[in-house]
Amino acid sequence: MLTYEPDETVAHRLDPRSKLAVQMGFAVAALARISPRALLALSAVAAVALLAARVSLARALYAYRFALVVLAIAPVVSAVTLGSPWIDPAAAVTPALASYRVLLILLVSAAYVRSTPVRDSRAAIQRTVPGKAGQLLGTGVALVFRFLPVLLADVRTIREAVAARLGDERGPVERASRLGVLGLSRAFARADRLSLALQARCFSWNPTLPALAFSRLDAPVLALAAGLAVSPLL
Amino acid sequence: MATERNSVELVDADTVGLFARAALLAALMGAASYVSIPLPFSPVPVTLQVLVVYLAGLYLGPLWGGASIGLFLAAGAVGAPVFAEGKAGVGVLVGYTGGYLLGYLLGAVLVGLLVHRSLDRLRDPAETSLPVLVGSLVAALVLIYALGVVWFAHVQQVELAAAIGVAIVPFIPGDILKIVTTIAIAKRGVIDPV
Repeated sequence: MLTYEPDETVAHRLDPRSKLAVQMGFAVAALARISPRALLALSAVAAVALLAARVSLARALYAYRFALVVLAIAPVVSAVTLGSPWIDPAAAVTPALASYRVLLILLVSAAYVRSTPVRDSRAAIQRTVPGKAGQLLGTGVALVFRFLPVLLADVRTIREAVAARLGDERGPVERASRLGVLGLSRAFARADRLSLALQARCFSWNPTLPALAFSRLDAPVLALAAGLAVSPLL
Repeated sequence: MATERNSVELVDADTVGLFARAALLAALMGAASYVSIPLPFSPVPVTLQVLVVYLAGLYLGPLWGGASIGLFLAAGAVGAPVFAEGKAGVGVLVGYTGGYLLGYLLGAVLVGLLVHRSLDRLRDPAETSLPVLVGSLVAALVLIYALGVVWFAHVQQVELAAAIGVAIVPFIPGDILKIVTTIAIAKRGVIDPV
């Protein structure tokens, strides 16, 4: 699994806002056009992104191995025709190029994921989305990061306990509803304790945020993001 | 650093309670994506995520249920491995499953609106009549399917019929199962509504 790793790469030193901007610009550019020439240019940008965050291509592809299967299926499905000649390779070209551009978008995301700590993402959200909505969104995202491993452990415990009592030999509806009831009631019990703890610590609408600053390094990256975003108009 | 100099403006207790539940439900949604059965001939894996979408609408209502799924999407976009198969990043939001992800958000809002018929006053899902429950869950599923398949066909540049064959048909049995499961959970009435 690809997650944040501390490092000293160029991508690690960038402001998270410019990295988010590049991802969005890249997605706009990739989804707008499907010509081989545009895809070649985007491949170069994706390669630079991976290099800047020091993510090896093999590792990124391994992380997205299930997605690769899916991306391979779309062209195959389109090439198969009902009736002679059964296989029409020409029909597979456009879906194949479409699959390739989705892969490029995923690779650029991999570079962001490895190079950005949660704290920075949260600060970027709170500084970009104004007001109370931004506060709740930033805090909520940080809480999801914190509680994901806790709830994964809860779900594992529940499944093991059910299996130990031969509950895994019951029908699928009973298994799923038991997991749902126990998982949700545990999550809500944790939420009620969390809400008490937040109030005890004066959870407020206006806390001081961690510092974020654009550096000189961010200027070309932001220019690239803007360029990618307007590229469909050229 | 921009230090806040105004006096502290506390978040009121009701909002903190609902917000904490929404955040934990978003994390549960992430955990549910690891409870999955990959199907060899279909691009979208079968996970329990849709079940959590229904529960979000039922137990948190349209506003906070939608907020909960929104938190899940935002956390995934900035790098939490919460999407199916532990994927993360903005790329997944615009990738071939992007339509389903948007459908989850709108689906939770729709279930909340149809069951509670109010933005903030929530009723106990155990006391909701069976036809209303079934109708709202099926409506949300149709919405998720519609957004999912149209986006899938657009991103992958395949015909709508082919997209329906790959991205909807294999999931219908699993999704009917999840509707039955949700109703079983709601009718059991063991989870405290807010």
